Amino acid sequence: MINENAEVVVVGGGVIGVSLAYGMVKNGAKVILIDKVDNRLTASRGNFGLVWVQGKGKGMPRYVEWCIEATEKWPEFAENLENESGFNLDYEKTGGLEICLGEEEHQERVNFIEEMSQASSSGRYDCEMISLKELQSMIPEIKLGKEVSGASFCSHDGCVNPLNLLKAMSSSFQENGGDYRPEQLVQKIEYSSNSFKIETGTHSFNAKKIVLACGLMTTKLANMVGMKVPVIAERGQILVTESTSRVFNYPTGGIRQNYDGSFMLGGSQEAVSNNIETSYEVLQNIAKRAIRILPNLKNLQMIRSWAALRVLTPDKMPVYLESDQYPGAYAITSHSGVSLASIHSSNLVDWILEEKIPLGFSSFHPQRFNVQEAI
Amino acid sequence: MFKKQYESHETVTIIFEGKSLDVEIGQTVAAALLGGGHLIFRYTRVSGEPRAAYCFMGVCFECLLEINGQRNQQGCMIPVSDGMKIKRQLPPKVKIL
Amino acid sequence: MSIAEYDYTIIGTGPAGMAAAITARKHGLNVLVLDEQPAVGGQIFRNIEGLEKYRNSEYHKLGEEYLSGSKLVQQFRNSGVVYLNGRSVWQIDGDLGIHHVSTIPTDQKSSVPQFCKTKYLLIAVGAMERPMPLPGWTLPGVMACTAADVLYKSSGMIPQGKVILAGSGPLLLLIACRLLDAGVKISAFLDTTPRGALIQALPHLPKALREFGYLKKGLEMLWKLRTSGIPIYTGIQEIEALGNSKLEKVRFKKGMKHSEVSADLLLLHNGVVPNVQITRQLACDHSWYDVQRYWEPIVDDWGNTSMERTAVAGDCGRVSGAVVSEISGHLSALDTVRQLGAITLNERDKLSRNLRQSLQSHKSARPFLDKLFQPRQNQIVPNKEDVLVCRCEEVTVREIRETVRLGFQNPDRLKSMIRCGMGPCQARMCGLSVSEIIADEKQISPGEVGYFKIRSPIKPITIGQLAEND
Repeated sequence: MINENAEVVVVGGGVIGVSLAYGMVKNGAKVILIDKVDNRLTASRGNFGLVWVQGKGKGMPRYVEWCIEATEKWPEFAENLENESGFNLDYEKTGGLEICLGEEEHQERVNFIEEMSQASSSGRYDCEMISLKELQSMIPEIKLGKEVSGASFCSHDGCVNPLNLLKAMSSSFQENGGDYRPEQLVQKIEYSSNSFKIETGTHSFNAKKIVLACGLMTTKLANMVGMKVPVIAERGQILVTESTSRVFNYPTGGIRQNYDGSFMLGGSQEAVSNNIETSYEVLQNIAKRAIRILPNLKNLQMIRSWAALRVLTPDKMPVYLESDQYPGAYAITSHSGVSLASIHSSNLVDWILEEKIPLGFSSFHPQRFNVQEAI
Repeated sequence: MFKKQYESHETVTIIFEGKSLDVEIGQTVAAALLGGGHLIFRYTRVSGEPRAAYCFMGVCFECLLEINGQRNQQGCMIPVSDGMKIKRQLPPKVKIL
Repeated sequence: MSIAEYDYTIIGTGPAGMAAAITARKHGLNVLVLDEQPAVGGQIFRNIEGLEKYRNSEYHKLGEEYLSGSKLVQQFRNSGVVYLNGRSVWQIDGDLGIHHVSTIPTDQKSSVPQFCKTKYLLIAVGAMERPMPLPGWTLPGVMACTAADVLYKSSGMIPQGKVILAGSGPLLLLIACRLLDAGVKISAFLDTTPRGALIQALPHLPKALREFGYLKKGLEMLWKLRTSGIPIYTGIQEIEALGNSKLEKVRFKKGMKHSEVSADLLLLHNGVVPNVQITRQLACDHSWYDVQRYWEPIVDDWGNTSMERTAVAGDCGRVSGAVVSEISGHLSALDTVRQLGAITLNERDKLSRNLRQSLQSHKSARPFLDKLFQPRQNQIVPNKEDVLVCRCEEVTVREIRETVRLGFQNPDRLKSMIRCGMGPCQARMCGLSVSEIIADEKQISPGEVGYFKIRSPIKPITIGQLAEND
């Protein structure tokens, strides 16, 4: 067993773990990042790359504010990260669309946006319905389908290349003295004299703080340090097309055109937790809906498809928790690792390193699930 | 660079970059173009460098052409047909951020 | 709408696929055969029907092995299979639903994608060339050496100008002889087979002598090459293709000396490897065959893979040539016929006895050949760092090495970092090279490194085709 020491050990090499590790080394902390490297757990490498507010946080206004704050920090976060790492993030903050088909979807959207706007105590939530005519004028180079009835437009929204985000933060983390340890699987966590000993089979990592950002493994590891963090897997499938001239300049939840001109189509949800295979039915449904929205997509070739497992809490909103029983142990899980990268690498790092607890943070405590169960 | 050694038993006319070319029926587009003296099939998306057909068996995806308006067609897999319009594939126009 | 269901679906009409079809039909199975090519024959018997019909004199010059293919083709044509040419399989579901689409452009009626179910599946898609990345290999004028074979057989075309053949392996020799027979003037033959390869292969020679025919053929080809007057250079390393927007010169090293020759066409070959794209999409288990440095699906003696009701036959399992492929097709079909209950286990064993003997005999030269032409790591991993490994996404050796050093040694992790393997060819041209470079960086075997996860679509289809109802 090789013994190693650090100030903080971050467990989990996905976008959340890497964001936290990246933010911490920039604050001068000595960080070891442990990564299991499991190719079935690919949420961070299989997502749509949205930097998104619209549609999230219904029922938890605090979370909506958190998302808005994250998107406001994103431009500066992106610029700094690009300058440090030398990698392009292809980040765009154009505002985002959710396109509606037919009257029923349109009305549902109207109601939803209304509710969200009303619930926004700060009044910062900026999302409005736009007409079909307005929508077409925003994307003049590509024709909308006959059933398109309008859309909601949210100025906070944008998109990024999520793979480059991970690459840039990983690179910057290591450049700033961070220690990345792949192929390490946490087997045991012990606590004594205010210090954690994390055993992986080959190594024993010792640190004052341990941050668990291990996606679908969070429940198991959090349990080792006295925390109850329920997570649920949900499969999503995505397909990507050949590159074509850039004509669709706003991301939506189910269709976006990447910087290189390829279209990504997705937006599916399945209660599947144990495999990342694609299925014909789901891919076909994705394709069908996409063509109803943008008929010209039918001539583009699909060249790749994949599936990944989203990491969701019971209400799909983050859990940020410090163990009561073992102070210094943290569990962090969220579905929106990409959108929240800007705030995870700053506000959460301040919380972990300097105990600066963000306002209204108790909203993110998992005891809210017990309350829900009780009701 | 490649020359046909025998007489065609039947031909069709294809149009490459606006110019007509008589080719033997049953040929693949890639073979027909090569036989007509056309080496470069496309310019890459990433760097714009010229590429030509490489494997001729559908594995390498280098022989990508625009055929009858459809991009990314494997020239070595598609037989010629009369009046087929073929163009060199150019990189798509990307948005400058 | 009812969905067609078959007892047995075969992908590929090379010797393995045709043989399996013939045997399956003999025992009354309902058989579908799909091939993305417009005509039967696979690679070895490419355009065999066209040649026989339209270019008869050339057809007869192609040698006994090629002519024997005609017999197989005729049996296949008379067997009563449902044969769909020009159909590309783009996805196979776990329960063996087969999704296929026409290879002809979408503005034709045949572009409607199709779906069928099958009880048993045989993958007989053959082999491909091992990619041979080297400086300038993406220049127009540089081709895989099988391209010359395809162009000759399918289109009757022969190369003009200064033609250089470079690499190692029996196929390179075969192509050289074929070009010579067709009257092509080859400028140079650059053999990269390392010195000492013959000595290392000698232990397998006695076994190989059992099927002397193979060795005899090889020696005949060598003799033909050596007496042709073509400049032959052996022990060659560091081949580079040079030119502005197309090939102009080829540089190479022999011993300590560098040379340059002018060139119009450079034909490369560095061995033949199984085409595992479909077996990978199905998530069959594969193992690393170290002597020839490639992955092959793990199979039993009948070609059955780790996936239920799915078998492979021919060179997409282990590269062994046309005769072995044909026999393996018959054998695999016999076991499938048995699994479907049309014959008993004993009957299967009885019917396969002669085939097995023949198989062992025809495989006896293989260990010798595999060892003689064993690719060395330095023939596969380019020594210059700015060589493009992933042609589609233009990713260099340097980028791969640097990313491995950042801690990302798993091919899929690497892919997400630098895009190698993300292009339209879905890693057919870079997969093996990427695993080899990672292996070199980590000083482990490529078998330990692993390979990219291969996903549907196996070949691209349009969003419109995907959306259409079956």
